Amino acid sequence: MTKEELTNYISSTYGSQLKPLDTGRHDPLFEIEPKDLVSVCRALCDDEKVKFNFLCNISAVDTKEKFEVVYNLASLPNKLRLDLKFSMPYENAEIDSVQEVWSGANWHEREIWELYGINIRNHDNLTRFLLPDDWDQGFPMRKDWDAPDFIRMPEK
Amino acid sequence: MGKLKTEEFVVNMGPVHPATHGVCRLMLTMDGEKVVKIEPVIGYLHRAIEKICENRTYPQCIPLMDRFEYVTSMSTNQVFAQAAERLAGIEVPERAEYLRVIMLELNRIASHLIFYGVTAMDLGALTPFLYGLREREYIVDLFEMTCGQRLTYNYIRVGGVSRDIPPQFVPKCREALKIIGDKLRDYEGLLNENPIWLRRTRGIGHLPADLAISYGVSGPVLRASGVDYDIRRDDPYSIYDRFDWEVPVRHNGDCYDRYLLRLDEIKQSIKIIEQALDGLPEGDIKAKVSPNFKPPAGEVYSRVENSRGEMGVYIQSDGTNKPLRVKCRGGSYNQLQALPHFGTDVLVADLVAIFATLDIILPEVDR
Amino acid sequence: MGLIKKVPAFLEPVPGGGIVTTSLEKILHHAQACSLWYMLFGTACCAIELMCTGASRYDFDRLGMIFRATPRQSDLIITAGTITKKMAPRLRKIYDQMAEPRYVIAMGGCTISGGPFYYDSYAVEKGVDHIIPVDVHIPGCPPRPESLLEGCLHLQKKIRAQKLSDWQEK
Repeated sequence: MTKEELTNYISSTYGSQLKPLDTGRHDPLFEIEPKDLVSVCRALCDDEKVKFNFLCNISAVDTKEKFEVVYNLASLPNKLRLDLKFSMPYENAEIDSVQEVWSGANWHEREIWELYGINIRNHDNLTRFLLPDDWDQGFPMRKDWDAPDFIRMPEK
Repeated sequence: MGKLKTEEFVVNMGPVHPATHGVCRLMLTMDGEKVVKIEPVIGYLHRAIEKICENRTYPQCIPLMDRFEYVTSMSTNQVFAQAAERLAGIEVPERAEYLRVIMLELNRIASHLIFYGVTAMDLGALTPFLYGLREREYIVDLFEMTCGQRLTYNYIRVGGVSRDIPPQFVPKCREALKIIGDKLRDYEGLLNENPIWLRRTRGIGHLPADLAISYGVSGPVLRASGVDYDIRRDDPYSIYDRFDWEVPVRHNGDCYDRYLLRLDEIKQSIKIIEQALDGLPEGDIKAKVSPNFKPPAGEVYSRVENSRGEMGVYIQSDGTNKPLRVKCRGGSYNQLQALPHFGTDVLVADLVAIFATLDIILPEVDR
Repeated sequence: MGLIKKVPAFLEPVPGGGIVTTSLEKILHHAQACSLWYMLFGTACCAIELMCTGASRYDFDRLGMIFRATPRQSDLIITAGTITKKMAPRLRKIYDQMAEPRYVIAMGGCTISGGPFYYDSYAVEKGVDHIIPVDVHIPGCPPRPESLLEGCLHLQKKIRAQKLSDWQEK
């Protein structure tokens, strides 16, 4: 299946829930609603024609106006790649966990919670793991974060 | 005599331990000598590389990405440069692509030689450590001849490579490959049929294929469990589709297979490098890229087949000369996540063997 | 070995024969300097160069240095690699477990002042001398094995220049 065929298949089968975006530069990129996340991921994983059974990466992005969360998927038997994305405002940012679809999402989501402060529903182990145990200075990966001993590179 | 009353207790392995490769802490709940539960505690090497990259230009990010995975830092350079090139639509000259493939495969051999030495040392055999690192010095000499550094190279840049190879590189490279190919027979003779090695690695730490896929495990660990997937062949990048080589796959998924698979991969890498040296064309080594490189707004997820699995970088650009977000993904992250689910019900000594053959490097996990 | 058979023939014509006079300080410091056992403490990239220095081509063993896995049996700790804020209390604990006389070599740019992670990093301890007292700093990112060997030779020179009264309880 080529990238165009994949884009057409996804648009025709999941057209109500996935909308194509044009900012992806190498793989097909689709926008999804946060409420459809788990059901669409489960459908993509079980769909016999595409079978996206491998979750590569979950990233959270702080674009200075809102949060975006990006899921990079792969299909090992069919050798395909797909990206899913959704955005949400800063206040009360919450997403559902997809660890029932791919178990490997567990640590990725824990990291998003710890570094960005996005709450994850239905996660079984939302505890601190990258930062020191007594960290009390907020969520460091946000763009507006600062601390007294954080030294920025001086502008030239 | 009645049944003896026993209790489970928690033993801390790490963060400073000779058999955890780096600063990994494993909290083991033990029932006597058997491990019942493993809880990895990480974060002791979290250096905030992703936060630093948001305040550096694209060429300045490449030396930082070197430190993300320092044993195979050519792959980290390649994955970042490839992502920037895909964002901006830059085409890399032919000679640069051939040089990139040669360096990537030499780095893969060097990393597997370290694996061989360190794994054997963890299981008590000290001689392979000296042999493996002795052969690695030939490869490191080649790197030093080309880019001046032994470990963190900063060689593959956006648009090509930074320097051309000197004239004595090609004969010395062929000589090094011949020596390594011969010594590989010695390594196999030392350990493959050794009864102690077989007792300690065969049948230990079986990783089922569906568990591996569900946890996102990739690379040699996945191929040793029977799943035939290699990014160089199935999702090709650079010019890997021009060479004739095989992807080794094994089916038992235990420590012995993971060890044998990496030795097989060294042989396939030697084949690729020889073909690349034979076909090396003349030409430019770098496309014209301005020092104030500003890719258009967009996002990309680029991946390479590292010696530890799939190494990926997700970059989002907003049109300025600094990336908006860089997220790195290493193969060891998912393998460490999967460890508590297949590494229990073994003795502590077997856990050391499982951990060693997973070939985990902590900066990939902690960033 | 053949050499030991030649020693009596060499010593006989010397007046005084096989008796050597020196100060206790010199003997003690010579013994210390020529058998420094270092602790395997590597966190990041410099740990690979430390391993290479201990391997076949650049041999640490010829300086009498063997690696030990526990701080109780070592007199030197080479902090090879970045120390983060989470790791800092553990490093202090390990240093406290070493018996005196103990020495510290700070290897690499990260341990001297934070290295490439000085700016814009929220989790790196910028210099290991905030935590433990350092005897020799070795710059480089990572330093070559020859630099590390030279650093160890500097440390040996420093040990030989110490006085016994430095160790006296004040």
